[in-house]
Formats: sequence, structure tokens, C-alpha cells
Amino acid sequence: MGSDVNTQGGRDAIGIAYQIPRNTLALLMVAQVVVVLPYLLQLSPWIISVGLFCGLWRMKVYQGRWDYPHRLVKALLVFASVGGVVISGVGAFSLEAAASLLIVAFALKLIEMKSRRDAYLVIFLSYFVIATQFLFDQSLVVASYQLGALIVVTAALVGLHQLHTRVRPLVSLKLASALVLQALPLTLVLFLFFPRIAPLWTVPLPASGTTGISDEVRPGDFASLAQSDELAFRVVMEASIPPPSQLYWRGLVYSDFDNGTWRAAERRRAGVASGAGDDTGLAYEVMLEPTMRTWLYVLKNSSSRDTGVYRTLDNRLEARDPVMSVFRYRARVNRQAMDTTELSATTYLRETAIDDSNPRIRDYAEQLRQAYPDVEDMVKAVLDSIRQDPFAYTLSPPLYQSSDSIDEFWFDGRAGFCTHYAGAFVFLMRAVGIPARMVGGYLGGEVNSITGHLVVRQYDAHGWAEVWVAGRGWLRVDPTSAVAPERIEQGIRAALSSADLATLSVFTNARMGKWELLGDALRWADSIEHRWNLWVVGYDTNFQSRFLQDLLGELSPTRIGLAILGGGGLSLGVVAVVLFWRRRAVHRHPVEKAFRRFCDKLAGYGYERRPQESPSGFVRRIAAEVGLTEAQVGGLVAELDTLLYNPGVAWGTRELQALRSQLRRLQFRLAFGASR
Amino acid sequence: MAEAGIGVAERPAKELFAGKRFSRWIEQRIPPSPQITLTQRNVFIFPTGTGFAFGGLIVLLILGAINYQASLVYGVAFLLGALFLVTILYTFRNLSGLRLELVGVRPGFVGEDVELSIRVVREAARPREGIQLGWPDGIMQWAELIEQESDTVKLYVQAGRRGYFDPGRLLVETYFPLGLLRAWTWVDLSARVLVYPKPLFQEFPQSVSGRRDEGQLIDPVGSDDFHDIRTYRPGDPIRHIIWRSYARSDDLMVKQYASYVEPRLWLRLETVDGDLEEKISRLTGLALKAVRLEREFGLEIGTSRINPGQGEAHLEQILKELALYGL
Repeated sequence: MGSDVNTQGGRDAIGIAYQIPRNTLALLMVAQVVVVLPYLLQLSPWIISVGLFCGLWRMKVYQGRWDYPHRLVKALLVFASVGGVVISGVGAFSLEAAASLLIVAFALKLIEMKSRRDAYLVIFLSYFVIATQFLFDQSLVVASYQLGALIVVTAALVGLHQLHTRVRPLVSLKLASALVLQALPLTLVLFLFFPRIAPLWTVPLPASGTTGISDEVRPGDFASLAQSDELAFRVVMEASIPPPSQLYWRGLVYSDFDNGTWRAAERRRAGVASGAGDDTGLAYEVMLEPTMRTWLYVLKNSSSRDTGVYRTLDNRLEARDPVMSVFRYRARVNRQAMDTTELSATTYLRETAIDDSNPRIRDYAEQLRQAYPDVEDMVKAVLDSIRQDPFAYTLSPPLYQSSDSIDEFWFDGRAGFCTHYAGAFVFLMRAVGIPARMVGGYLGGEVNSITGHLVVRQYDAHGWAEVWVAGRGWLRVDPTSAVAPERIEQGIRAALSSADLATLSVFTNARMGKWELLGDALRWADSIEHRWNLWVVGYDTNFQSRFLQDLLGELSPTRIGLAILGGGGLSLGVVAVVLFWRRRAVHRHPVEKAFRRFCDKLAGYGYERRPQESPSGFVRRIAAEVGLTEAQVGGLVAELDTLLYNPGVAWGTRELQALRSQLRRLQFRLAFGASR
Repeated sequence: MAEAGIGVAERPAKELFAGKRFSRWIEQRIPPSPQITLTQRNVFIFPTGTGFAFGGLIVLLILGAINYQASLVYGVAFLLGALFLVTILYTFRNLSGLRLELVGVRPGFVGEDVELSIRVVREAARPREGIQLGWPDGIMQWAELIEQESDTVKLYVQAGRRGYFDPGRLLVETYFPLGLLRAWTWVDLSARVLVYPKPLFQEFPQSVSGRRDEGQLIDPVGSDDFHDIRTYRPGDPIRHIIWRSYARSDDLMVKQYASYVEPRLWLRLETVDGDLEEKISRLTGLALKAVRLEREFGLEIGTSRINPGQGEAHLEQILKELALYGL
């Protein structure tokens, strides 16, 4: 009965303290854990433990064991957690700091939550925390998890508006699931048609997750990348995929050498003309995983017409903004080289600059230069010497730590990874004034046979060199091909020793083809993730305009508006039909059903039941008209009224059967009587 | 509400009905009727404060999605937006199709609450949750319509003046399921509740002291006539003790005296003091007292005359007469 006092809408009529329904509280606590859990990977343990502590306290309050924290305790908690955020060493304006504070605020609000307004705040914060997680990870797994979390949070919101005595977590959960499910079609419409626009202002970036190739490289740096099977990017090619040895994905050009470290210096844009070039070369689309950096990986001599993608002076492509979520760009390889113009004086000076370390290799370079005056001959000679001398290709070379590390590698250690060889080669070339530079990126990739896309992982990271040859431009030279040709042709697994392979993880090994079954499973998962990226995560401004152009023809605000209205109306209409249709399908008592069927049949013979005639009265009248005796009508019919108007009367199946057969017999007799 | 007839006291217009225009508009839109079925014609729906805050959250998320170019943040924002829109259907559906009937009223006295019983009936196939009804300044009551197909809710409204009282439009609302939207309606169930005057209690006017055989004992501790003898109880006046009988036995006996008055009490304006309203209040008090003491009483007021009688029904008749006198 209407016994509960309501305080909704500010009508706190008689000052009865509002209590959040206990089941809602329970759901809220579950929601908190569910929502905070994924942050374990991103945030410092400090924050997580503050959150858990608050959760524990709330739990105790819920159980009635502890009281709400005292104001001093709360103040202490606030200081501790803000201090925790500071100590944890994330930047003051970084995304992590913001997320940490969000989680802390969330946990602290939970602990002091008493009124309905507090509950709303906690629920809204939960929604926010769910969305924030996607700034760190947008994979399908995380998305499915967060959809579940969203349902739990919504269930808590539902519970707030159910009769206190009626709130059951499962009931609320069921309703919340139905709501979310019914909201999905509309979500899809909005997702497809809502115009995506460019960022409005600069935002703090997540500090974590900067795996991948850095703009500073020390020999041996790429070896750690080789141990990671993390995804770098996926590529969809328009035509058939060239052999791996052709797939040099250029990301960075390292022109500056300083004390053993190579740095990427050239960041100048070559203007907006990233789209210059012909339209006949190989076209491909890259879906780059977040790198938090601006450089993009493309095949040499590629250009792109996508907005937000620029070409640099050193013949690379860069994004306008750091890549924070899956970034997709289309590019095309031009048939003609794009950097054959003469070197400017500045470029020449930069691309030949070295310091005066590593005397031995400089001497060696001088000797070679004298023997081979032609640049290409000289390159061949260096590669030959790598091929003939006992050089080794390994993930774990000795550490070359002296200031003459290149000498150490070239003459003493003779074991190294791609960057060792590329670095030494560039140094050697520059020592005799030949412009050369190191290039970092990825080599090869694996074709996923299910979706036919190319997958490039961190272990495909590679470093090579480019040499300037007058008249021909920058030519690619890969010294690794001299020491480990199988790396170029078959991928890294073929090039590594079994000892090196043993240091790699199970998954990495499986991906590289060690275990067929696991490898297949991983490829299958990859193809799903690829489709997810293709259609959901990578649904950006460029892709949207292409997709909508295909769908709607010419794009205009009116058309998009109409599409949103039409699609939204349709999806809401379907929900409305589902919701309001049920009204007609009234659940009927079996007796009523039987009687209704009887009446319908009789109406067919011309016996209409008069309005306000009782069921048994109707049967009796008809029986009298036809001339049937009371016995022929049957005893149960007399009880029809009691039966139909007192749904509480318990009727067993046997009685029901009897009634049905009596009605049928009667119907038959009446039909017979009527025909006579 | 003007057709309600004599002496219908309308509640002071609340700010909700401050506008005459709104008042007229809603009179036309939802005309008064003792039974109303809620449809899209008479159900209104609008976001609550929480709903607007939710909208703010969505805008915030979209801004974040734009700046971080994160598709799935867009996704969350759109899902919440779609949830909001779907909730419109749910909230509306929760109220639409309900039938409201006034099943009874119980009169009350000025300054106290009158009781109105309102039956809320739903269709068999659609359980409702979180239906609340009440008057704007009263306490909202929940109707339980999850398992039951109908629920009778008793609502209380404070009455201001005697006479027929129109409690005004009843607010029926729901925030279900997410509290982001409020669906509501103002229905006038043509309720007319009789409000009795506020009683003022006083002694019976000591009108006539009748003969012993005609009168009725009303005040057993009065002191006019000897009435009975009984054993002493502490507190009896000492002068009533029969000392002579104490001399014969050890029991203390006392004499009892009582007043005999005119047994049939006539309530008339002349017999009480004060202005008209006060007189009516005093008569009301007397009527209540008379019933409690099981005395016969009648009423003579203005042109109407109710012969003496007893019991609840009689009382109600007299109270009604008093409530409507002069209106």
C-alpha cells in the first residue's frame, strides 16, 4: 500500500531522513568495484588502495558495523589521496592525474553518500569513469566489459526509483539490461551519423602506453621491442600484399648523431601538399594503434589526402595531433620518388655530421673510400664485409658502453641487432662525407588469412639506413640483410637463434608460428579486433565522410539531419512498438479462454451474447431457445459465473478439462439444434 | 469548479495555478471527472533537474570524445543519450493507461485532514512502478501496482474552512525508471469533501433542570438530589459520609447526589456565546460531547430543525447542517 514517504523532487514534506534503498547501495558498491577495476593497469596502487579502503568502509557502514567517517577522517583521506596522486609521479596536468583524481573523488563520494542527490552524483561519476577508461584502451574486450559495467550502474539508478520494499538487484539489473539493449539501435544511428569534428582544444595526453619506436635511438633499443608481441598497426591493402621484404614501414628518420645516440630532427612539414603525387600506385589504409606520437608509418614515397595528415621534408607522413586512439589514414605509394631533388646545403651538412669518436671505423671508412670512389660500390663493399666477416645477428648482444661504441661493435663484439648495423653503416658513410641517415620503423608483418589484412607487431620493429646517391635520391640500404637475410625475407623468428627465441613469451612464439593451434586462435581474435577497429574505433572524421557519402550521396547538413531523425525515429519507434504492444496481449485465465472460444463459435451459428448477460445466463438462454434440458447443459456451466468473476477460485486441471469438454459438447448440440 | 454548488471552498491558489490562463487551459485540457484514464492527452512529460544534469554529462562526454578523438567515448555519450530517449517512452508508459477513480471521501473538521480514497487501476498486462500521487503541498504516496492490478490510496488534505471543500487538482507523477524524466498529470476527480466546523468544547449550557422522572441523569456527582448509597471510595467528599451507618457496621457508606437535567439537548445559536463562527464551533463541540456521553440532542438553526436523536448517523446529519449553515 501507499505507505512509503517520498521525498523526490525536493518535497521533503515532514523531514523524514531519506534513505537510499539498500539494494541500490549494494548495486552501487558492486558498480564501484566493476568500474574501478580496469584502472588497475593505469593508475598507481596508491589510488587503487584509497578507493578500496573507501569501499571497505562503505561496506562496513552498509553492514551497520561502522559509522560514517568523521569529518577529520574524510579530510585526512582527501589529503592522503591528493598526496598520493602527487607522489605517484604523474604529470600535474596529465590524463593519469585527472583520472586519478576522478577515481579518488568517486571513492570519497561513495563513502559519504547518504542522500538521493549523493547517489545521483556517484552514478554520474561512474558513467564518467567508464567513459574515461576508453581514453586508455578501446579494445573490444574492454568495450564489452564496460557495457556490462554500464548496465550495473544503470541498475543502481533504476533501483533508486523503485518502491523500497520492491528493490531487488536482479529485478533492477534485468530492467537496466532491457533499457540498454533497447537504447543500442539508437546509439548506432547516432554513432554513424553524428558529425565527427576535429579537436576543439589541446588536452593532456595519457603518459603511459608510449611503446613503439621512439624519436631517439641507441643501438640495441629495438631489441626490447622485439620481445613484445604488442600490436603496432594493421594495414588493409587495396591490391595484393607485396612480399615482406618490400614492406619497409618508414616511421622516423634519425639524422642527428650524438655520442652514440641517434635522434630524429627533421620535423618540418612540407606544406599541405601531402596529397601530391599520382593516383596509380599501391593504395593502403593503416590503422595505427595509439602511440601518443605524431609520426605515422608508411611505405616509402607515400602520400595521403586525409585531413590531419602531413608530409614532412624528409619524406614521411605525420599526424597533426598525437595518435591517442586508433588512427586510420589512407596513403598511396607514388611511382616516382619524391625526394630526388638536390640536397640543400643545410641538409647536406646535417646528413653528414658526426663527431670525432670511433677512430678505427673512420680509418676503415677512409680506406674503403679510396678503394671504391663510387658511392654504390662503396655500399656494396661494406655489405660484403658484413657478409663475409663473422658478424652475428642477436637480440642480446654484448653491451657496447664506451664512447667509441661503434668501434667496439664493428671490430670487437661483432654481434648486434638491426640498429647496431644500421648505425655503424651510417656512421661509416658519413665519415667519408657521404650523406646517410638511419631510418626507424617496421619491416614486414604477418598476413591474417581470415580477413586478409597485414598485422605489424612491435617485434617487427626494424632500423635501416638511407644513402644519398646524386641523381637517384635517397636509396635504402639495409645492413641487416647482409648479416641475416632471413630476417628480411621471413621475419624475425627465422633470424633469431633458439636461445633468443626462448627469451620471448609464449604468445610471441605462438604468433611467430611455433604452435599452430594457439597461433590460429590468436589470428582469429586478431581478425575480430581488426573488424572492431575498422568499424568502431577507427570510425573517424575521414572514414565517416567516406562512409556517409557512399550511403547518402552528397553530404549536406540537411541530409545528415534527416538521416539522424529518420534512423532515430525508426529505432525509437521499434522500441515503442515493443513497449506498447504488450498492452494488447492480456494474459487470460484458462477458463475465460475456453469460454471466449465457445462464444466465438456460437457467434458463428448466430447466437450473440447480449451485453451485460452473465455467462451462465447466456448459456441458459441459448439452451432454452434450442430446447435442451438442464442435464444436457451440464453442471459445470452453472458455475461459470463464479469461475469467471472470481479469479481466486482455484481450479485444478481436471475440472478445467471437464468444463472444456462440456462446453464442446454443448457447442455441438447447439450447432445441431441450430441447423435443425 | 464553480458548478460544485453552494459553499465550495477552493483552496488558495498555489503558485502552480497562479496563472488564470493555465488554470483555464487545464480545465479544458483535463476536465473534472470522478474517473479519469490517463492518455497522451492528459499526461505531461519533462526532464527533471537530474535529467538536465544527465544532459550536461552527455555534453561533457561528447566534448571529451571530440578532443581525444575517441570513438568509444562518443559511443558512451550516445548510449547515454539513447537511454535518455528510450526512458521517455518508459516514463510515459508508466503513467499512461492508468485509471484513477475517486472511491470515497471522509469528512473532517476545520484544521484537520480530510481523507480521500483514490483507486488507481492498471491494465492486467502492465505492472507499474513508482506511481506517486498527492496534492502539491502534501505528502506524495506511492501506489503499489506491481502485483496488484489496483490499489486504493488514502490521501489526506488539510481543510481550511467549513462547508464543501474542493481539494483542487491531484498530482499524479512518476520518475520511473531512471529519474531523468518526470511524467505527471493534474487531475480533478470532482472531489467534494464536507468539512465540519472546528469544534470548541465547553460545558453544556445548564439550561433546564427537569423533574426526576422526566430527566436523565447526566452528572452523577452533581449535588442537587439524593440518588444512591454506596461504599466509600477515597476521594469522596467527607460530608457525604453516612456516619450513622458507620456506627452500625464497619463499612463507610456515602450518599450520592446527582443532577437531573433536561435530557434532550437542543443546540441553538442563542445558547452559546461569540460571533457566528464561534457559535457554530461551540455547537459543534457540544454535539460531539453529547454523542460521547450518549445524550439525545437536536438542532435548531436558521430554518432547519433536526429532532433529537443519538448515534453517529445523527451526528453526521447535524454536523453537516452546522457545516453548511449560512454558506
